[in-house]
Amino acid sequence: MSQVVTLEQLKKLAADKLSAGARVVAPVVDGGLVSFKEISDAAQATFAPQVRVQNSIKEFFFPKHEVIFTFVRKGNDVEIVDAPDFEDDQIILGVRPCDAAALPILDPLFGWDYQDRFFQQRRAKTTVVTFACKETDAHCFCAAVDGGPDNPAGSDAMLFDLGDGSFEVRTFTDKGAALFAGIATESDKTGAACAPPTCDFDVEKVAVWITENFASPEWEKLSLRCVGCGACAYVCPTCHCFDIVDEGTYSKGQRVKNWDACQAGMFTLHASGHNPRSTQGKRQRQRLTHKFSIYPGKFGPYLCTGCGNCSRSCGASFGVRPALEALNADVVQKQED
Amino acid sequence: MENQLRNAIRKLLEEKTVDVAIGYGRVGVGGAVGAVFVTDPNEVDRLVWNAECRQNLAVHLSRPEVKALGKPAIVVKGCDARAVVVLANEGQIDRENVVVVGVVCEGIQGADASGVATGTLLDKCVACVEHAAQNVDILIGDAAKAAELDAANAPNAKTAGKQAKLAALMSKTPEERFQYWRDEFSRCVRCHACRQSCPLCYCNRCVADKNRPTRIDTSATLKGNFAWNILRAFHLAGRCVGCGACSAACPAGIDLDLLNLTLANAADEQFGYVAGKELGAAPLIGTYAENDKEEFIR
Repeated sequence: MSQVVTLEQLKKLAADKLSAGARVVAPVVDGGLVSFKEISDAAQATFAPQVRVQNSIKEFFFPKHEVIFTFVRKGNDVEIVDAPDFEDDQIILGVRPCDAAALPILDPLFGWDYQDRFFQQRRAKTTVVTFACKETDAHCFCAAVDGGPDNPAGSDAMLFDLGDGSFEVRTFTDKGAALFAGIATESDKTGAACAPPTCDFDVEKVAVWITENFASPEWEKLSLRCVGCGACAYVCPTCHCFDIVDEGTYSKGQRVKNWDACQAGMFTLHASGHNPRSTQGKRQRQRLTHKFSIYPGKFGPYLCTGCGNCSRSCGASFGVRPALEALNADVVQKQED
Repeated sequence: MENQLRNAIRKLLEEKTVDVAIGYGRVGVGGAVGAVFVTDPNEVDRLVWNAECRQNLAVHLSRPEVKALGKPAIVVKGCDARAVVVLANEGQIDRENVVVVGVVCEGIQGADASGVATGTLLDKCVACVEHAAQNVDILIGDAAKAAELDAANAPNAKTAGKQAKLAALMSKTPEERFQYWRDEFSRCVRCHACRQSCPLCYCNRCVADKNRPTRIDTSATLKGNFAWNILRAFHLAGRCVGCGACSAACPAGIDLDLLNLTLANAADEQFGYVAGKELGAAPLIGTYAENDKEEFIR
């Protein structure tokens, strides 16, 4: 037997949670653009599997801008007030499996030496409801990096579109089960995700090349068309670099955490004027090495879920998939031949 | 046309007139078009020309990684060609040291969220009157056809396409327009993709990157986002050629070239100045004439 909810029940669930004071995040369609946004009315949300969303849900765990503390100067003293804890319940509906899969990948990073209460509190208070994918596009490559269109990683519950205005619910955690308790009804219908996306390169082999070829001239060649805009990092569910900045005046202000990206030249510019990553080739090498060598070396999984957000957003038709494809064709295959 | 382009580039490379040709190739996911850098005359077949050649390649002329490859030839559309002219007029490139290969462009198609061509022309192309790139060294394509297309669009050039979109926005009340930009800028993540993709944002150290002291908030708050996007538009006043690279690059889908078009229109209406139209023209913001209009200063 399976558990099933109707579209109306999902809308009511969102509305009930909103009335109960929870934050509800869902895909909102505006013109041709689909964005994950915090909604104030269940009618704003669209309840259908989305392939191409302009933002990742990472901003609801690791916001693009976050206050760490505020300060006020009082005479010779400075009064510092820490940012409040995140105490609201948060429900994110309609997530793509590849977006949710980034959350367990990032958990060790935000809880390794420094325990990042901002990320951890949001993780603890958030229930993630994914839609199993109904379609993929040419940018998707989740199956090549241990994912798939019904990958449960990071999801508390997953919905399978049954095509008749109802969804099969599969819950994976207590939070997921609690969300649908008393709502889902028993049924004999079961849903299925679409077929996984295909790709003709072996990530493991490319990852080995990346690890072993730090000094290769291939990096500059590969990255020539990259203009260093960094859009890839900002839309990526796993990219997590940030900058810490003090804003305000002499007498009062705040210390904030803002997203940053390794594709910007400023990212590694030293005060001396020296820049260890002086070219786009070195910056792309950093991005790909971090994703496929450094991060798995330290924490296990690749720092990539194959979602394709980077290449969809890239004005230069670059991104992780084209980079892996090019490295596979230009170096890995040639080594094997 | 593609063959004509490839032959012209092959000749430039074979005769060593240039060291590298910056053109379009099918390099992205599913053959999506992006920049290619051809140095070997035997590899000119990597070059393509079609309605998916969206990027303005002139952005590469100022990049140190590309400059290191030697003297370039660059493939430009009509709008892009004006960016090359502005770069030359502002002393950023030695025009004698660049071979500008213009193409006759019948319009570029938009792309869906997966990058697949939609079959519909981009707003900027709808009323285009520069189908043949100007101020170029070599023109690829049928100039007579381009002239016909220009003539057909001329009556609507200042009202259709992007201008119509801007007019629709300007017909709203200031409060509605402010709300529009609040909604748009709320999505801005401050990646600065707009700047990086813009051929005319070539500053070594952008004001947004100044941190001793910080000139504008780097925070992606409404305050920081308004400051950044309006500041960038002002820095492009009288300079922006309307290629739309910023809007195309924006991962948040913000129509930034509406801001730039407002200022381009002001430059045209107040000073009769169209950026990049004339090689050797003095920059608008850098010059003063006694008969400059002043009535807009209030």
